[in-house]
Amino acid sequence: MIEVKNVTKKYGTIVAVDNISFDVKDGEIVGFLGPNGAGKSTTMNMITGFIEPTNGQIVINGNDISRKPKKAKKDIGYMPENVPLYYELTAREFVKYMAELKMVKRDIRKQEVDRVIKEVGLEEVQNKLIRNLSRGYKQRVSLAGALIGNPDVIILDEPTVGLDPKQITEIRSLIKKLGRKHTVILSSHILSEISQICERVIIINKGKIIAIDTPENLEKATKEKNNISIIVEDPKDNMKTLKEKIKQIESVELIKDNNDGTKQYMVTCSSSTDLRKKLFEVLPKEEIVIFELKKVETTLEDAFIKLIDTAKEGKNNVDNI
Amino acid sequence: MWTIFKKELKTYFLSPIGYVAIGVFMLMYSIFFYLTTISYGSIYMGDLYYATARYGLLLIIPLLTMRMFSEERKNGTEQLLLTSPRSVTSIVLGKFLAAATVILITLVLSLIYSVIISFFGSVSISTLIVTMVGFFLVAIAAISIGMFASSITENQVIASIITIGVLVAPWFLVDISTAFSSIDLMDKFLKFPSGLVSIADTISLVSITIMCILLTIVLIKRRKTVK
Repeated sequence: MIEVKNVTKKYGTIVAVDNISFDVKDGEIVGFLGPNGAGKSTTMNMITGFIEPTNGQIVINGNDISRKPKKAKKDIGYMPENVPLYYELTAREFVKYMAELKMVKRDIRKQEVDRVIKEVGLEEVQNKLIRNLSRGYKQRVSLAGALIGNPDVIILDEPTVGLDPKQITEIRSLIKKLGRKHTVILSSHILSEISQICERVIIINKGKIIAIDTPENLEKATKEKNNISIIVEDPKDNMKTLKEKIKQIESVELIKDNNDGTKQYMVTCSSSTDLRKKLFEVLPKEEIVIFELKKVETTLEDAFIKLIDTAKEGKNNVDNI
Repeated sequence: MWTIFKKELKTYFLSPIGYVAIGVFMLMYSIFFYLTTISYGSIYMGDLYYATARYGLLLIIPLLTMRMFSEERKNGTEQLLLTSPRSVTSIVLGKFLAAATVILITLVLSLIYSVIISFFGSVSISTLIVTMVGFFLVAIAAISIGMFASSITENQVIASIITIGVLVAPWFLVDISTAFSSIDLMDKFLKFPSGLVSIADTISLVSITIMCILLTIVLIKRRKTVK
């Protein structure tokens, strides 16, 4: 359980994090989302006790990170941005050192190091110097450092940056697995990643939280129009007059004229109506053959960009969605 | 504290730094052994330790201390240290003791020459012990200064130049005012080689050491709030 209460961080006159509050429940995976310089890393650094907030309180499992740092930090595993590692050590030595730093008891230390190395898939390279490991493996070593000692809270700052697609899938499924036993906070630029892994998303911009919700709700809430992508064979060009046949349609836009005689259109209507059924009924009567008909889903990307833009315009009324 | 101590000591010898430091020390020591003891046919070891402390420490202390905190800060590994349940005090002391241990190793190695001399005459054991204790006190004071320098910058070169500056400047500043002799570590080492234990000098050296260690701890803690 992480409680962040009215936390502010100022650097001189610059406010990096501005009075943010949120809770993360046990076993929850929360995604931290925001453009560069939004205050994601600063917030994570405050939660892990690396930097002190100017104002406010952060409580990890009932222990205030500023007042009882030793107890609070024992419960946290942190994988910082830019994966800092000791390059002169081997992967195994590093994980062992992290175990000692984290005060893992001596009698279970070896077994704990073995467990974590296996969990992140480092067995083959465990005796290589970190200096000689590839980026993907370095990332895993850093992740191993965060997992050692089985902490309740795991904080990952951009865990998949610089990995190849296969590694990204592996790390993602590992994080999902972690979410069953641990509380996880992760930050990312990749929005699809957040919507795949996280149960809740915190969108932060210019040090302020602009939305906290599930990825699905965020997508729904920011959706204004229903878009339907449709590919048709339309020899008589009846699509142009479609708007007159179905009153609810707001616009019909030609997207692409394919060479095989088919055309792709985007049909837009208000978000409260679903035109798919109607289109299936009406189009054949107009001698239009449907090749493909698909509702275009708003993605977290759209929601994100919209929220950030709304915040920019100063309409800060999205907080309560 | 011991976790950090063990890792730091290991790192000295995983990188060439530990070997270079000990090698340079032994080289200087051997040169002075020739210049002071052999060329004068003397069995007096005091000058030997004094000369080695004056010039040898100047070379090896910056080498041992420059990376202590600068490197951690530059590589971001200080994030690992400072987010671990270990206290800043134990981190600083662990690093300090590791560097002090390297000096201790060199001192043990330096006994070889005393053994050689003892074949040709009797070496005063008590004087030798007092000299070595004094040498060690000067060395740890210098380490603490170097450690503090390393904690104020993330650039290792700057850290080592500050260390050398602080160690050397008093040698010349004394000519401006004798008051500067109080910050000259070598001035406090003057009496030890003749077998005299000076309480005042011992207290000054230990105080400088404690002061610099405390300053380092305060600085690192303070940086958490301003960073």
